[in-house]
Amino acid sequence: MTSSISRIGLNTVAALAIGGVVAATVTSNTALSLLTQAIIYAVFASGVGLLLRQNGMASFGHALFFGGSGYAMGMILQAKAMPAEAALLFTLAAIAVLAFLVGLVIVRVPGVAFGMLTLAIGQMFFLTASKARGITGGADGMNIDWPSTLFGVPISAILKPASMFLLCWVAMVVVMGLLALLLRSRFGSITEAVRDNEERARFIGIRTLVPRAAIYALSATVTGVAGLLSALNTSFVSPENLHWSLSGVALMMVVVGGYKALWGPAIGAVVYFLAKDILGDYANHWMAIFGVALITVIVFSPTGIAGALKRLFLGKKKPAMQSAAPATAHSTEVFQ
Amino acid sequence: MLAINLFNGLVYGALLIVMCSGLALIYGLRRVVNFAHGSLYMLGAYLGYSIASHSNFWVALVAAPALMAVFGILLDRYGFRLLQDRDPLSVVLVTFGLLLIIEDFVQTVWGKSNLSVAAPELLNTSVEIFGTQLPAYRIGVIAVGAMVALGLSLWLRFSKIGLFVRAASTDPTTTAMQGVNTDVLSAGVVGLGCALAGLAGVVAAPFLSLSPSMSADVIIDSFVVVVIGGLGSLIGAFIAAMALGMVQALGAVYIPDFAAVLPFVIMVFILIWKPSGLAGSRT
Repeated sequence: MTSSISRIGLNTVAALAIGGVVAATVTSNTALSLLTQAIIYAVFASGVGLLLRQNGMASFGHALFFGGSGYAMGMILQAKAMPAEAALLFTLAAIAVLAFLVGLVIVRVPGVAFGMLTLAIGQMFFLTASKARGITGGADGMNIDWPSTLFGVPISAILKPASMFLLCWVAMVVVMGLLALLLRSRFGSITEAVRDNEERARFIGIRTLVPRAAIYALSATVTGVAGLLSALNTSFVSPENLHWSLSGVALMMVVVGGYKALWGPAIGAVVYFLAKDILGDYANHWMAIFGVALITVIVFSPTGIAGALKRLFLGKKKPAMQSAAPATAHSTEVFQ
Repeated sequence: MLAINLFNGLVYGALLIVMCSGLALIYGLRRVVNFAHGSLYMLGAYLGYSIASHSNFWVALVAAPALMAVFGILLDRYGFRLLQDRDPLSVVLVTFGLLLIIEDFVQTVWGKSNLSVAAPELLNTSVEIFGTQLPAYRIGVIAVGAMVALGLSLWLRFSKIGLFVRAASTDPTTTAMQGVNTDVLSAGVVGLGCALAGLAGVVAAPFLSLSPSMSADVIIDSFVVVVIGGLGSLIGAFIAAMALGMVQALGAVYIPDFAAVLPFVIMVFILIWKPSGLAGSRT
């Protein structure tokens, strides 16, 4: 236990260092802003992946929390209801609480119907945001008026490509580190027990609804962090940020990257953005290309890129890792 | 005024019935929630557009669904059948991949601008019912919805194949052991489901314009319908489709700002009350 915690600490420090090196060596602003976007979506995908990994549920509506946090920020700042620093924390707290309450209802819906339900709820907010011109600016979107300083740092310094990248990177690493710690705790084991066999978990005295809803809330909050980073990066939010296709893209990143590893979805997001950039002229057909990629990955490598990498580099460690995992005899493993 | 709105609700409800019976059939036999169903509807509509512009609407009405049926049979043979032992979710994501491919295909072939199909001359008139002028084409749409609902119900209830379909959707293993070729049966039913999506597309073309966003609009309403009705339940889907058509049409007039949200609010309340949907018993 202690060794795994110190390993998480070590990995976190190493990851932070890598971000610093990238920010210092990459000088092209285009490359930096591409990477920044990739990292923001890596956080987004991590949120969606968390839900799939710990609850076994695929959400087709997480764009709700991505765009929703941006809108919440924009509205609070517009109304000058509180300082921006407080608004950031308030937005995340509100997402956590609301998602938990919604989660109490919707995690009871079984299997694929859950995905359809999340899709519908997400789309409900997309339509509302598109229609409510007075509050959200409708289809034109809304600008987010950041104050001149944030946590004492001038906003102009934050918005520089290199510092923006570093900020997003640090946010991603911190989120990952916290999640890794949390999932190694008792809470992590409980949610895995519930995911693998809800009935059995209930028999041994675990209340299954609250842990499931808590994971839903946690995954929503992580997605909210991504939404806030995006709102900071572009100072703009539009209904596009709420659209269900965005939720689908995030889910695609999760699957292509591999959701069994905590960092799999992040890999998927980075690969997605790099591929989209490299495809260049062919990018008009990115939907078909990613559709084919998605189907190929699901059919031939259900554990995604992360799974393939693990097999490549950690091939021999596999048995040891499996024995550390909870009993999987009755597990209803997704994608297997 | 109210009569016209109720009428339009019926028209949209009828369209949703055609859509959702396809979804429910595919779910019933293959346990696949077909995320590409809206894209198949769109593909059907665009195919119908091309066929109609080379010959006429009536040919399109038959040919486009027939092409979609072939597509569905292939989809089942080389997709769903090979994936039937996988977790349902992975198959859902395969259909999501398919959705992306079809959307891209349609935009590449037919472009992104809005297209329209003229209603056939025979129905390009209006009929007076209870003192209100109603477009004949839309009455035709209601008739198609009613025929699909009635036809499917009777087919499933009274024909031999319908019996096999009902048996296979309850317990495919036992059904197969009793000598029913469930692979052929499933391919046929998925083909039928896709044909119905195509039919809905062709039927919708003359009164809804063809655009790249048409699939997203209809698939979300269809999901609301099948979730409210209970996954895989035809009767539930019929009732929910009609109810949703009405809610959409009346909501748009009486509470326009709130109308888009109304179906989802209803859905959420129904699911709180009954997580498996109105007529759903299985998960």
